[in-house]
Amino acid sequence: MSGFASVAGAAIIWIALLGPVITLVTHLSGSAIASALTAPGALDPLIVSLESGAVTVAVLLLLGTPLARMLARGTLPFPRVWEAGVLCSLLLPPLVIGLVLVFMVGPFTPIGQLLGDVHLSATNTFLALVIAEVYESAPYYVLGAQAAFSSVDPRLEQQAGLLGDRPRRVFRRVTLPLAAPGLAMALAVAWARAMGAFGAVIIIAYHPYGIPLQIYTTLQETGLASALPFALVLLVVALPLPLAAYIWSARARGRRRG
Amino acid sequence: MLEADVEVDRRDFTVRAELRVQPGERLALFGPSGAGKTTLLEVIAGLVRPRRALITLGGRVLTSTAAPRVAVPPWRRRVGLLRQDPGLFPHLSVRANLGYGPAADRSGTELVQLAGVLGIEKQLAAMPARLSGGQAHRVALGRLLLAHCDALLLDEPYAGLDASLRRLLTSLVRELVTARQVPSVLVAHELAEAQAFADRLAVIDRGCLLQAGAPDEVVRRPATRRVAELVGYLGFVPAGDSDAAPLAGIHPERIAPGAEPRRGLVMAGTVEAVRPAGAGWEAELRVADAVVTCQLPDRPGPAGSDLVVTALDPPWFGPDGAALVRPPSGEQVGA
Repeated sequence: MSGFASVAGAAIIWIALLGPVITLVTHLSGSAIASALTAPGALDPLIVSLESGAVTVAVLLLLGTPLARMLARGTLPFPRVWEAGVLCSLLLPPLVIGLVLVFMVGPFTPIGQLLGDVHLSATNTFLALVIAEVYESAPYYVLGAQAAFSSVDPRLEQQAGLLGDRPRRVFRRVTLPLAAPGLAMALAVAWARAMGAFGAVIIIAYHPYGIPLQIYTTLQETGLASALPFALVLLVVALPLPLAAYIWSARARGRRRG
Repeated sequence: MLEADVEVDRRDFTVRAELRVQPGERLALFGPSGAGKTTLLEVIAGLVRPRRALITLGGRVLTSTAAPRVAVPPWRRRVGLLRQDPGLFPHLSVRANLGYGPAADRSGTELVQLAGVLGIEKQLAAMPARLSGGQAHRVALGRLLLAHCDALLLDEPYAGLDASLRRLLTSLVRELVTARQVPSVLVAHELAEAQAFADRLAVIDRGCLLQAGAPDEVVRRPATRRVAELVGYLGFVPAGDSDAAPLAGIHPERIAPGAEPRRGLVMAGTVEAVRPAGAGWEAELRVADAVVTCQLPDRPGPAGSDLVVTALDPPWFGPDGAALVRPPSGEQVGA
């Protein structure tokens, strides 16, 4: 009986989670999609979202991976302080992050002025969009990657070292392959968060439009029905990477089981 | 030759030891759990930083805390470490695991040959998750041997394996250590395992090296009462009534039934308990105020009956616990 209750509970939450996707698909007609997406410039926000998402993911890989690894191995002094820093950006509502970013990198701040000196601006620019997306997605990547690195037994790395591998080679031959499925999942989640970033974006990077802002402005200007096709676009472009990462991770784990 | 003069702090005590292991020699570090044996190996492997150390291998200084300070990193030490956990790389096949070390032969001839010797030639394409515990240990051993290290450190590598596999792997390592003339150190907390492997036995307790010598010598002639306790002497019988009377160390396996005064100490006492042990019997015998454990080929009388046995050539200890050079002669204890 308890087994049946557990399955029923799991089914309810699963259907509830899938509900919005089902609703989205069932409320769209082919003609509505065609007319929304064939309007002049309709797909420009998609390009913006894809480009900013790609840059965000690259930044996370480059800067977030070493941090995640050091957090996992406890090699940083005062590790709890570092972890709290990562958690802060996860706990702050995205809208608040956007507000704070204005005071941090806006045009009248020291950082904003430094950027101005090199003819850059962190307000309503592509750079601002990337900054907002990084803030919204980084904790998901760093915490996921930390878990991925933590799952690698340090004794395996030790053993590889004793067999003659330098640390960099150990990382390439042992750590990275073993953490890769978890890293891929963390990156996929971060990608989805970056593509859907809205709260911080609307404050600091209203322009250039990405898809989430396009949905919002379309909703404001022409109503719910015309905004829905863009929601489908967001789903279609955000989903393949997490899906591919999930399939790849599952296969990698399956290969290890032989 | 591997030479290590090490002092390393642990939470509750300091490990101090001086080891010299000749090429081809097999040293067993024997002692109870938590004695500091593994710490010692990890210092030699470069995984733990010592307070003070001078470690050399084949004339190369690996660690020196005195000026000029040297700390060769683990990947340049050429010291192989095999632990109880085989530590196979789960994402690599058995073949890739075996050939992991940069020094492993690229042609694969030695790899295939060694896999045959280890009995894992049919598992070369398998992933480690598919291996049994024994097969995984054999792969780990093969990987270590193919890396052609200059010294082998074995940290209770066979714990949890069945006796026949232990014997097989032990004899294989013995042969290979001799053939390759590399110094090797085995850490064990089971005496039989240490004896099966080593041609020299060192007893370590709470970080101190208590005695080193030929395995039979250490067991037959322990230098102190503590060493005797560690190598299996379960009873200590006084040769008189005074507090200063020397104590005979009684090893359960060095007992002959009956009185044979020319072979050792004759003990007469009362049987307190009898139970089967292996192919024979084990009896608890009360002799004077001491209780000694005896292993006997035949079943002794029941509890409460009298029994006379001879402890064969027992070691004697003074009141300070040190072994007596000249044991008292013609002693007989008990009722």
